[in-house]
Amino acid sequence: MNMLNLSAAPHARDKWTTPFIMRMVTLSLLPATIVGILVYGWNAFGVVALAIVSAVASEWLFCKACKKPSTIWDGSAVVTGLLLALSLGPQTPLYIPVIGSVFAIVVCKCCFGGLGKNFINPALAARCFLLISFANAMAIKPIVDTVASATPVGAMKAGEVVDITKMFLGTADGVIGSSILALLVGGLLLWSLDIIHGQICFSVLIGFTVFLGLFGGKGFDPAYLLAHLCGGGVVMGAFFMATDYVTSPVSRLGQFIYGCLIGVLGGLFRLKGNTADSFSYAIIIGNVCSPLIDTYIVQKPFAYRKIGKTRKTSKEPFRIPKPVIALTLIAAIAGVALSGVYSMTKDTIEEQKLQAERASYREVCPEAETFEDSEAAKAKLEELAGGNWGTNFGSTRINEAIVGKDAAGNVVGYALSVSSKGFGGDVTMALGLTPDGEVKKISFTELNETAGLGMRANEDSFRDQFPGKSGSVSLVKGDAGENEISALTGATITSTAVTNALNAGLDFYDTVLKGGN
Amino acid sequence: MKNTFRGGVHPAGHKDLSRESRLRLFDPKGEMVFPLSMHIGKPAKPVVKKNDEVKVGQLLAEADGFVSAPIHSSCSGTVKAIEKRRVLGGGMAECIVIDNDGLFTPAEDYTQRTDASKLSNSDIIQRVQKAGVVGLGGAGFPTAVKLQPKNADAIEYVIANGAECEPYLTCNDQLMRIHSNEIAEGLELVLRLFPNAEGVICIEDNKPEAIEAMSRAVSDKPKISVRTMITKYPQGGERSLIQAVAGVDFPTSKLPADVGCVVQNVGTLYAIQRAVLYGEPLFSQCFTITGEAVAEPGNYMVRVGTSYAELLEAAGGVKEGMETRKALSGGPMMGIAIGSLDIPIQKQNNGLTLLAEDPVEAAEAVMTSCLRCGRCTTVCPMGLTPQLMCDAAVAGDLERYEKKLYGMDCIQCGSCSFACPAKRPLTPTFKQAKAEILEKRKREGGAQK
Repeated sequence: MNMLNLSAAPHARDKWTTPFIMRMVTLSLLPATIVGILVYGWNAFGVVALAIVSAVASEWLFCKACKKPSTIWDGSAVVTGLLLALSLGPQTPLYIPVIGSVFAIVVCKCCFGGLGKNFINPALAARCFLLISFANAMAIKPIVDTVASATPVGAMKAGEVVDITKMFLGTADGVIGSSILALLVGGLLLWSLDIIHGQICFSVLIGFTVFLGLFGGKGFDPAYLLAHLCGGGVVMGAFFMATDYVTSPVSRLGQFIYGCLIGVLGGLFRLKGNTADSFSYAIIIGNVCSPLIDTYIVQKPFAYRKIGKTRKTSKEPFRIPKPVIALTLIAAIAGVALSGVYSMTKDTIEEQKLQAERASYREVCPEAETFEDSEAAKAKLEELAGGNWGTNFGSTRINEAIVGKDAAGNVVGYALSVSSKGFGGDVTMALGLTPDGEVKKISFTELNETAGLGMRANEDSFRDQFPGKSGSVSLVKGDAGENEISALTGATITSTAVTNALNAGLDFYDTVLKGGN
Repeated sequence: MKNTFRGGVHPAGHKDLSRESRLRLFDPKGEMVFPLSMHIGKPAKPVVKKNDEVKVGQLLAEADGFVSAPIHSSCSGTVKAIEKRRVLGGGMAECIVIDNDGLFTPAEDYTQRTDASKLSNSDIIQRVQKAGVVGLGGAGFPTAVKLQPKNADAIEYVIANGAECEPYLTCNDQLMRIHSNEIAEGLELVLRLFPNAEGVICIEDNKPEAIEAMSRAVSDKPKISVRTMITKYPQGGERSLIQAVAGVDFPTSKLPADVGCVVQNVGTLYAIQRAVLYGEPLFSQCFTITGEAVAEPGNYMVRVGTSYAELLEAAGGVKEGMETRKALSGGPMMGIAIGSLDIPIQKQNNGLTLLAEDPVEAAEAVMTSCLRCGRCTTVCPMGLTPQLMCDAAVAGDLERYEKKLYGMDCIQCGSCSFACPAKRPLTPTFKQAKAEILEKRKREGGAQK
């Protein structure tokens, strides 16, 4: 007989291996990755790819340099790279994920002894490092949405109402991995497979929600709480960052305390901190606390937990299978987020838009006490049904035209809302006209042009050219004469859009409003 | 409602290889080797000399002290030698070697049934003791000692362990199917010693035939019931069973009797029935020879002292075209790896498993650092924290291992090692740490004297 292997019991091993767990985590992050790339485009793909490749490469190189066997096959570098990428903005310059991955793998992981030895989550640590060291490059630029602040959380902090539905689906501005639905699918998959500990992810979410409910000043308003839960990496943090095995406590009670700590700190930072990225810091603090928690909270064996004898026999516990719970949760949350909350916030959003519009009308036509609809304008616009105004003004629409009257009921001016295609989407402005069709003032209600170029349209030096103009104006480079507008340097498209909007508005006055009222 | 315990793992059963193979007696031809220590406690003292004629059931060695058990011959023939032989575990141990004449002449008539009602409690215990019955579940603890706890009235449950949670093994399944009445009678005899106890036969739900057979056998015995257990390892562990049946967790510093329980393997109960009613000493037990590499896996009543190699031959040897990577006495979870099959089967052994692939070897190839994933903690049936215990043991901090992490409460069931995705050798580390701590205690105890 050939030589038999000798070893100590047990002689059987489960199918689960470290690479399997890492593969499952990677798989569960894929939905969010795919949504991120689809919504934000190629740069997002570049960020993801570079982060992963440089994470794996730097681990390989580190092992090589240390003359140790390569450990890249365990898959943890891929997870780190992917997690880092998902927590970066889609417009991040491509050197950022490379620096971040190298920092995560080399400094945070390998220097502490590799897999299982790091004291903070490498991906999170790298993100915080980048946030501090490369603040400008890390800033998230709006590419999808047009709220004043770059991210929904920023908008919330500024007191604006945000669109939860967009945040939930991941179509709002934010980091690449900002689709809450996709993250939930992945996170609950991991939870239902028992890869992540429910006591961590749910206590993070509960701690955060309860803290905001108690101290957020709005009570337990579902729209308010959901908006905060959907933004600022709370879901990603709860399911994918805080649950990192290596940096979370071992005992169940310890995990619960750790989760609540992160949730409460995250809530505190969200309310009192001045950055939208505060949740990362909350988790990092949790990571650092977990050895302390492990020192003081050690799970006692069953036999030492109860005092005296109990005569309760263990029966086959009735448990709803976790995948069923997970699917139900996803369906329920999606349902609430997509329908209920939308209708709850819809009115508020519309109201806010309307108020902004009203405010701008007041700004461009300050003499008016009241605004009334112009029947003729209304009829004409309905006839157009959202189409372009005229043929000489490019892609330009008249949104609304109303009549401003003073206290005595005399017409003191007109206010129009005109949109024209700019470089970064629609340029919408309020245009105030005198009863004689002279420009009083313009004010932008929607302007998403390139910072430093097109965005300069909102500067007084540009806007101040408009008052007094009438009839038709033309755009020139350099100094402007009568009925001419001096274009913004390097922003011809924006300047043209503004000019088109102005001319369309003036033309609309001539054909519809003039003498009509 | 099925009972179970907290934690545990679900290793692949592989029981189909042998579960339908009917239990049959195997008569070996070669020499028979009887180690003097086939039980926990002091080794037995030989009462035969070289060249003595012996018969089946004849006393070979007597118990030396209270915690010890006598040894009887399982064949007829001549004592060839009393010498050191290689035994299970790899070491050399004092053994009585008998030249088997192949006739199996019994020393006494073991077919005459005694009227149980005429036996007193002390008769029962004495018969069990004289027959050399030890725990056949694997530990080999002298059964007579277990039957005499300090306070017999305090025993609430006598648990018959038919869980057979160890993968591959099916001999208890077969024994329960064929000898259900004998097992039930054995349990009834034990129950006579404990007036306040009820008998509970625990069987995992992957053995429906055994559950049915045992239920039928106890249908006229009001004090005995059959409980179905969820198939989960280590369901058949003493503490897991007590947890499942009585709902009690107790530290290793206490014995089952301290919490009102006595646990007996169904094989032991069968042996008790044979010993008490027929005066037959324990010289054979049920045994499974199985594994992917065995030509004809099956269940046998094997005679103590038979060599593993000879039994393997009887089972058709190694399957053609197969190579054995690993041979295990017992199943994969708690079995002992064997380097050479030329060793004797002892009383407490219940299986030989030949594996064509070594899972440990395969696991070592994908070993990584501990991820701290906590799977070991989740599966530990004792509620320990193996990952921290392993850290402490590897760091040599036995103080923390013992006091803070309750490391001595590890029952070495192997669940943590099985479940570990990083493939850390947890259980062997704990075995080592426990041995070191016991060694230290012994040293310190000695120094105090």
